[in-house]
Amino acid sequence: MPTEKTLVCACEDVTLEEVRSAFAAGHRDIESVKRYTGLGTGPCQGKSCLALVTSELLRLGAAPGEAEPFTARPPADPVTLAALASLDPSALPRQSAGGSWGGSAADSFPPRPSGALPERARVVIVGGGIMGLGLAYNLAIRGLSDVVVLERGYLNAGASGRNGGGVRTQWSTPTMIRLAKRSLELCRRFAVDMGVNVWMRQGGYLFLAATAAQVARLEKNLPVHEAHGLRTRIITPDEALEIVPQLDASRFLAAAWNPDDGVVFPWPFLWGYASRAQARGVRVLTFTRVTGFESTGRRLTALLTDRGRIAADVVVNAAGAWSKEVAALAGVALPNRPTRHEILVTESTKPWLGPLVSVLEDGLYFSQSQRGEIVGGMGDPAEPEGIEMGSTLRFLARFARAITACAPRTGSLRVVRQWAGCYDVTPDNNPILGPAGFENFLQLSGFVGHGFMMAPAVTELMAAWMSGEIPDPIFERFTVDRFARGNAVREDFIIG
Amino acid sequence: MPRLPGPRFATDCTIDVDGRPVAARTGESVAVALLAAGRALIARSSKYHRPRGAFCLAGSCHACLARVDGVPNQRTCRVPCRPGLSVESQNALPSAPHDVLGAVDHLYAHGLDHHHLMTWNSLANRAAVAFSRRLAGTGTLAGGTPSRSPPPSDERFEAVVVGGGPAGLAAAEALARSGRRVLLADAEPALGGRLRCTLSREGPPLSWAAEVARSVSAAGGTAALGHTAFGVWRDGECFLVPFRAEGPGAPILLARTPRLLLATGTWAVPPLFARNDLPGIFAARGLARALVEDGLVPGERALVLGAGPESEGVGALLARTGMEVRAAGQVEAAHGALRLEGATLAGGDRMACDTLAFAGPRAPASDLARLAGASVSLDPASGGWFVRAGAGGATGVTGLRVAGEVVARVNAAEAAAAGRLAGEAAHAD
Repeated sequence: MPTEKTLVCACEDVTLEEVRSAFAAGHRDIESVKRYTGLGTGPCQGKSCLALVTSELLRLGAAPGEAEPFTARPPADPVTLAALASLDPSALPRQSAGGSWGGSAADSFPPRPSGALPERARVVIVGGGIMGLGLAYNLAIRGLSDVVVLERGYLNAGASGRNGGGVRTQWSTPTMIRLAKRSLELCRRFAVDMGVNVWMRQGGYLFLAATAAQVARLEKNLPVHEAHGLRTRIITPDEALEIVPQLDASRFLAAAWNPDDGVVFPWPFLWGYASRAQARGVRVLTFTRVTGFESTGRRLTALLTDRGRIAADVVVNAAGAWSKEVAALAGVALPNRPTRHEILVTESTKPWLGPLVSVLEDGLYFSQSQRGEIVGGMGDPAEPEGIEMGSTLRFLARFARAITACAPRTGSLRVVRQWAGCYDVTPDNNPILGPAGFENFLQLSGFVGHGFMMAPAVTELMAAWMSGEIPDPIFERFTVDRFARGNAVREDFIIG
Repeated sequence: MPRLPGPRFATDCTIDVDGRPVAARTGESVAVALLAAGRALIARSSKYHRPRGAFCLAGSCHACLARVDGVPNQRTCRVPCRPGLSVESQNALPSAPHDVLGAVDHLYAHGLDHHHLMTWNSLANRAAVAFSRRLAGTGTLAGGTPSRSPPPSDERFEAVVVGGGPAGLAAAEALARSGRRVLLADAEPALGGRLRCTLSREGPPLSWAAEVARSVSAAGGTAALGHTAFGVWRDGECFLVPFRAEGPGAPILLARTPRLLLATGTWAVPPLFARNDLPGIFAARGLARALVEDGLVPGERALVLGAGPESEGVGALLARTGMEVRAAGQVEAAHGALRLEGATLAGGDRMACDTLAFAGPRAPASDLARLAGASVSLDPASGGWFVRAGAGGATGVTGLRVAGEVVARVNAAEAAAAGRLAGEAAHAD
């Protein structure tokens, strides 16, 4: 006989008991409960569980604003990639659907922030994504724990909770390779160091090149990779087929293969960093929005939020795609351009895909998650600048055409959910670091689409610098005034 | 006796289930054919490998997934039987009745905290990652390359009505009678929605559905069955609603319209008690439809859980099959190894039963309306979300109207009345 479990979500086998423990552990709002327990992420997308979990959260004492139904995300019913590939993207509109959480109850009975706003703190970090939380944790372990992190939504509401989880060392510049190698090492240790599983799996990265120009691009990187001890090789289509037999080998000329790159499950990184930082005295405040700054001369003195004022000695802007908006509140102009990037997930199947596969030509990438889903995205050159997190039918069609051309057998897989996050793009695809506008207003933004994978290394270096160690050269090279000085060097190995 | 007697319910084909022949009726769903063959157990669940079988019998819950003709994760309640169809159970080693991985359920009797599983040292952690990857995933990737889907049919309609229950039928009828070219689409293979369950005396007869389909065609419109809307987007002034058609090789229908009327009804919500996921526990409406249309006799002893006309209705239908029927207001726990064998009622009374029909509150199917930008309000009875609507089902989103159970808890007659008003208002839009 099966055990006496009461199931709330039969797709993902989530029990009533698990919902109650998640709530007790501080995951109060439905978006957080969904992420922590996995409910509503299976093929039915919440049709059976949403009502049950809503009733339970309200019974446990959630505010109505915390129990608003989770963000509406197409498709409303699973649909195969083969069927979607029959749609002509150029005939489809750019208008999006869904993408934002919260309804009318959120205005009158808003989600409860995770703590009281203190009057002051040594360091206030704006943005509770992986950058902000990673920095808070790294400051705390260096003894600097009078730190407050302000997050406008729930943890994982921004790009840190919306990315595909790829972690690669295959970059084109020595700096990026050095940072990526360190990040990869920290990702490997994360589960044990931080006590929470991130399902790091080093299945490799396979970059497919369809044209001679793309092959040349891969070959150009090779000596840099060799100099940094990376095991990258340029392989033939036949060799690539040995790694991923489902590929259509007629569609590419060569591939770059690095067996050490990998994929992670992004969400627990935030929980891990947050809980370890909090254990050392850092305060992580969710549902708290920065609305302005106070300054005296060349220094910021305080932040204004929708919950009151907090004085700070140092302010860090780690707001990702919202960094430009946050800096503007202090009268500081950043060149960042937030740009939507769409992504989707299919039904799960038993493991068949080892590496993350990326097609240089069209920016397609896809990998198989720990749970067996195919997770993939693809940039859209026609995407305009702006913060937009809704989803388009055009993306479903573009992605479906690209992935079924690359790996035809994926055609039978059904897409169960699509969403979008915002890339935080800069003119040279490199980050914005160091002070800007005010001497105590530090920037930690502009990581385009690779902020997640860079965060473990970058936040460690930034915390070391902020605690008085000699700064890593990145904090001088990547200051915002490089564009005015004219010494920006472009990173061109961006995918998606 | 797995089915009611009579030529209407006689089996006429054989499907192959895990290598064994199962008699079925051509066109009925695989899930119903399996139930009629006494096979409530279809597969094992994703994480704990608990026994799984059909629950909603209406396409929403995804509890009845199996590999069909080599393609994984097919909703057996939506796949029609035809001679030689191959059905394989999923996620079980070696078979659904004897799955050794069912041990996971007992090993983690109080839940598996996967976030903190084996994080003690890197060796253990790497083993956990490797091992759980092998356990994860339901079904295996289909073998061959699927055939290319035909190009979509891209069509403009004066109005699109999603949902062919009483509200949608009345709306489509009102629009068609006003001369509008309407697309009336339903995910099911037949029109009627809950009228097909015959659970309530209120409301129009099921035969009315065919009249509406004729009115729709007479006005140049289409009644599209087996068509599931999987999103709502806008293209300029129009809504763009893509429909996935049931069956391999069927084209996507891209419907463009300035008037969208959502009468999407409700989803079944499972009951909450220990072992509420046992095969043999069904949503009342889905089960009722199988009793009426397929002559299914799901077992010998049935328990009806819930109050109100639908629980009485499903109780009467079950009794008509010759089953012993008992009603209960509350269940504390279900019992059974591979399917329901009994239940503990409130107060500790234990009874034997192989079938449980749950007639509790259903949740409004408001996802399409939410994608279209409508706002919702809590339905405290189900925990689901009603679409907020004013006169004529107006949502505040230009061109978007809603009617029926997605707006309020209404009976079939009230739903039809609301649908008619919404249809008339949409015509005037």
